[in-house]
Amino acid sequence: MGLAIALAVVVLPAGSALAEIKSGSDFLSPELRRQQADETRNPGFFWVEQGRELFSRRPAGDGQACIGCHVEPQQSLRGAATRYPQVDAATGRLLNLEGRIEQCRVERQAQPAFGYETPDLLSLTAYLASLSRGLPMHVRTDGLAQPYYEAGKAFFGRRQGQLNLSCQQCHDGLVGQKLRGDTISHGAGTGYPAYRLEWNDVGSLHRRLRACSLGVRATQFEAGGPEYLALELFLAARARGLPVETPAMRR
Amino acid sequence: MSFNARITLPAQAKAGEIVEIRVLTRHPMDRGGQSDGKGGTVPRKILNRLTATYAGEPIFRFDMHTGVSANPFVSFTTRAVETGDIVFEWREDGGAIYTRTARLTVT
Amino acid sequence: MSSAISPRSARTEAGIDRRSLMVGSAAGLLVAGLPLAAAADTPPDLAQLIARVTEGAIPERVRIRLEIPALAENGNSVDTRIVVDSPMTPADHVRWIHLIAEKNPFPDMARFHLGPRAGRADVATTLRIAQSQKVVALASLSDGRFVMTDADIVVTLSACIDGG
Repeated sequence: MGLAIALAVVVLPAGSALAEIKSGSDFLSPELRRQQADETRNPGFFWVEQGRELFSRRPAGDGQACIGCHVEPQQSLRGAATRYPQVDAATGRLLNLEGRIEQCRVERQAQPAFGYETPDLLSLTAYLASLSRGLPMHVRTDGLAQPYYEAGKAFFGRRQGQLNLSCQQCHDGLVGQKLRGDTISHGAGTGYPAYRLEWNDVGSLHRRLRACSLGVRATQFEAGGPEYLALELFLAARARGLPVETPAMRR
Repeated sequence: MSFNARITLPAQAKAGEIVEIRVLTRHPMDRGGQSDGKGGTVPRKILNRLTATYAGEPIFRFDMHTGVSANPFVSFTTRAVETGDIVFEWREDGGAIYTRTARLTVT
Repeated sequence: MSSAISPRSARTEAGIDRRSLMVGSAAGLLVAGLPLAAAADTPPDLAQLIARVTEGAIPERVRIRLEIPALAENGNSVDTRIVVDSPMTPADHVRWIHLIAEKNPFPDMARFHLGPRAGRADVATTLRIAQSQKVVALASLSDGRFVMTDADIVVTLSACIDGG
């Protein structure tokens, strides 16, 4: 029996459907969960509100506001965030929500890109993701997305950094256990951009991933770069069915 | 947009009723002292005071130091006496003033 | 944790505090003369901080409640509520409630000013608690008396420091 279990652990593929993936919210204290759900307490809603304003604001020159094309975003973009990251058909590139906003801004609005982690891009991303609150994640991992998915899966399983740890070792193997003051989660990422107490601020999933990389003393990749994009796709696929919670609150 | 506020209170109340007022504020509440990268330090920049008046009369004041969190929340109570505006005024280090107004209808 | 200690908020050595206390401060002299029973569960530094706020008066440990988590997930934002049992009438009300965190770089955290119009003495905020310590809530009453209570809080450290 013991041997069978050991074998099962060894052959368990990354992101196996055998383990039920839980939202980061399940690892918060009840107090913080209540705060997250309460619009009068969750500071993340300030970013959502700012994003909603930006969405309707005409950019410099004679460009259209986002809402000029995406009318009634509450309906037309409801659910959009559940399908990101996705491969852009025209270029074959993997885009997350941030990447799609930037693409729209540069190509359709003829504006300079905001830049990753800028307050404007964070706000717009938080707003668009918030339109999918409660809807289940369902990204595609087949077809053009498959190589990106495989790359993300490989990243998740690869030992990295001076601590020689893979994402999987903690976020599959030690979920629910304590790491200093934190409870190890599945790393679902379904609440980002999220308001993190650690940051006193709203930040992107890639900012969080950079902190993970630093935590295991590994190379911190560029926010918006190919490594974290592929990982984001893998995490989103692994979190299939979990509801979007943006703007979540996290430790 | 470094300042914003979300004020929550009942839209109406009966005369004499005690109402709870909840205020969530967007502000980094920078306690200062960090290196500015040029051999100096960043100055403190926090909201140091919130005052509330109700129909012109002061009802509440909150003095804040660096022990109050970023994006702070504060709640307090007041007795509904007459229909009027509740005016919130924040004072920031450096002298900037921000104001918001909420209406309380008393029946 | 991304905590920086500001020069402005640097704490003086405990020894220096004691010396300046003996030299002059009237409040300090009063603290030095506190009956042992009252001072027993309050470390000297905290007693000084309290005496400075009450101008030497010794607060009673009655009528005030401090709701703060025993274990904070992150010291950057700690939900805190203070309730004082008071009729809040013109004759008998809470004038203000003061919060002290002895081990914060700047121990005086905040003060709520209330009056009879509040109806209740019931306030809440989010605090920044630098480390595990004792937090004090101290209220000034309209009759000139002071009441206080305290609570121990453990602040855990985040596992993954943030390098952006």
